[in-house]
Amino acid sequence: MTQEERSEMRALLSGVPGLDNVLGGGLPEYSFNLIAGGPGSGKTTLAHQIAFANATVERPALYFTVLGEPTLKMLRYQRQFRFFDPDLAGSAIQFINLSAEVLEQDLGDVLQRIVGEVESAKPGLVIVDSFRTIAGQRGSADRGTGLELDQFVQRLALHLTSWEVTSFLLGEYAEADQRNPVFTVADGIIWLSQATDRNSVVRKLQVVKARGCAPMPGLHTFRITDAGLQVFPRIPEQTRKRAPQKRERLSTGVSGLDEMMGGGVIAGDAVMLTGPAGSGKSTVATQFMVAGLANGETGVIAVFEEYPEEYLARAETRDHDVGKAIRDGKLELIYLRPLDLSVDEALAAILEAVERLRARRVVIDSLSGFEVALAPTFREDFRESLYRLVGTLTATGVTVFMTAEVSEGFPDARFTSEKVSFITDEIIVQRYIEIEGELRRVIAVIKMRGSDHSHEFRAYEVTPKGVVIGSPLAEYDGIITGVPTLRARPVRARRRK
Amino acid sequence: MPNLNNAGLPPDESPARHIARSLIDRERSGRSGGDSAARSAATACDLLYRGLSRWLGADGCHALFVRARAQARPDFPALEEIQLRRGSTPYIYGVQEAILAHGDAATAEALEWILVHLIELLGRLIGKDMAATLIQRGFVASVRRDTTSDSGREEP
Repeated sequence: MTQEERSEMRALLSGVPGLDNVLGGGLPEYSFNLIAGGPGSGKTTLAHQIAFANATVERPALYFTVLGEPTLKMLRYQRQFRFFDPDLAGSAIQFINLSAEVLEQDLGDVLQRIVGEVESAKPGLVIVDSFRTIAGQRGSADRGTGLELDQFVQRLALHLTSWEVTSFLLGEYAEADQRNPVFTVADGIIWLSQATDRNSVVRKLQVVKARGCAPMPGLHTFRITDAGLQVFPRIPEQTRKRAPQKRERLSTGVSGLDEMMGGGVIAGDAVMLTGPAGSGKSTVATQFMVAGLANGETGVIAVFEEYPEEYLARAETRDHDVGKAIRDGKLELIYLRPLDLSVDEALAAILEAVERLRARRVVIDSLSGFEVALAPTFREDFRESLYRLVGTLTATGVTVFMTAEVSEGFPDARFTSEKVSFITDEIIVQRYIEIEGELRRVIAVIKMRGSDHSHEFRAYEVTPKGVVIGSPLAEYDGIITGVPTLRARPVRARRRK
Repeated sequence: MPNLNNAGLPPDESPARHIARSLIDRERSGRSGGDSAARSAATACDLLYRGLSRWLGADGCHALFVRARAQARPDFPALEEIQLRRGSTPYIYGVQEAILAHGDAATAEALEWILVHLIELLGRLIGKDMAATLIQRGFVASVRRDTTSDSGREEP
């Protein structure tokens, strides 16, 4: 078969952000699909979203409702979604109630009614909500008629395909139901689920079956907002090489720090700044971003520990005109703190902003807050997910600057968060030390892949204008312990006169 | 197409009443015979019931009509004679009795107010714009089917 022949199977775009990526390009035209999942999993909303994205007056969608949620209530709730266009209801999307036929418990009548409506309206899409009710009614009335249900499903699929219809049967199915004939006949099966983990609810979507296309395997998180469903494809293993960089240096906005790093951060690298609470990590991160803005670059800041208003207010007190950059469309502040977040969702939000702004710099402030914002189930594989997230971001060519809080404890102080340091190219550490009964801050660069860097500890101050790096603490030993000692000066022998 | 917003309507006519009247007028204009006003209004109710049943289901649509009649009943004694029969054709029964007891005009007005309340109710439930669209599209589709079958009102 030639490439041309293979490409004759068109794919419908679902209208659901992220879903077409998961499906491998969209929904195969004229396919017979099952959307399965438990109550409240989003089946009806997904079907409406697909219908509103594809239906036209010439090729309408027929939305067959059966028993269960009354049509009136379904419309009342569905119209709250932004994708719901009331002008299309009744024309491009026609709602047809099958309850009379289903209550008669005659699958032949149901089939005849659906086929009759299809022949009359010549739709492009058919949705049956819920198909489980049709099958269930029949099953409860006359047990042992599995063959009839088989025939019904088979004939329905044949009719709908013959009329060049892409169809969706919706149903509340469980894993154990997979012997149901509809699972065999269906070309595609999209499974929606929601799981509660402590106080978080996580919704997941899986393409269990997709004839004619190559879906992304695995479970993908999704969220339902007033815009409908949004799917966050699971971050794939990063196979793409990083965008080629000139190994150009980007200023951190902290002059002494640039010097310590041999001229600044290496463009396209993943940088991590770790330190205890109050050590000025966010300040340095903001300075890094402001330095880019001053250079005409665009950027994205993902904040997890503060509300955006607080973050902005704090940044502006240091003369950082972050607010103006946001208003000018040069900077985007992404606030992600829902406590049921997935790493994939965070990546989707950051990537979307990076692509829209053509951003060169990304700040994630902080990884510690990010981890807390995740649903508990995602915290378990935080390292792996973060590894993929950083790989995906740096592959686009952006420089990623992350902050991470580490606990400070003497003498067992940690330089970096042990969980995530392996994902970075460059590591800068901040820490507190005690000198003569006074708390001082020091900073050091401990890792820069492929570049020389300073190995000094240098004192720094967090001033109203930002972080200001001071001189090396050359006269002290044991800085690493947190309690350095003044190195003894060599005693000069007195000359005897 | 009339909608459920007030734009362009006489001050004493609500949008729902405007739509109800337009449905009855449309039904009346489609008939060559000389049906009474009450019979035309009853046929408009029949047609709307059939049109809305297609997407709401017979039960869902019947529930709306029952509520609409309950709202209109205190103001229109003629509705005492009127019965709504779920899933039957015609849907409105007792029109002849109502005409005999209350007169054609009073019965017609009472039936018109069932439609008015139903349209307002649907507007509150699913939004005025979508309610107006679905009512009119459902009615038109029902009229089309009706003209092919010429189903005059025949109460057994």
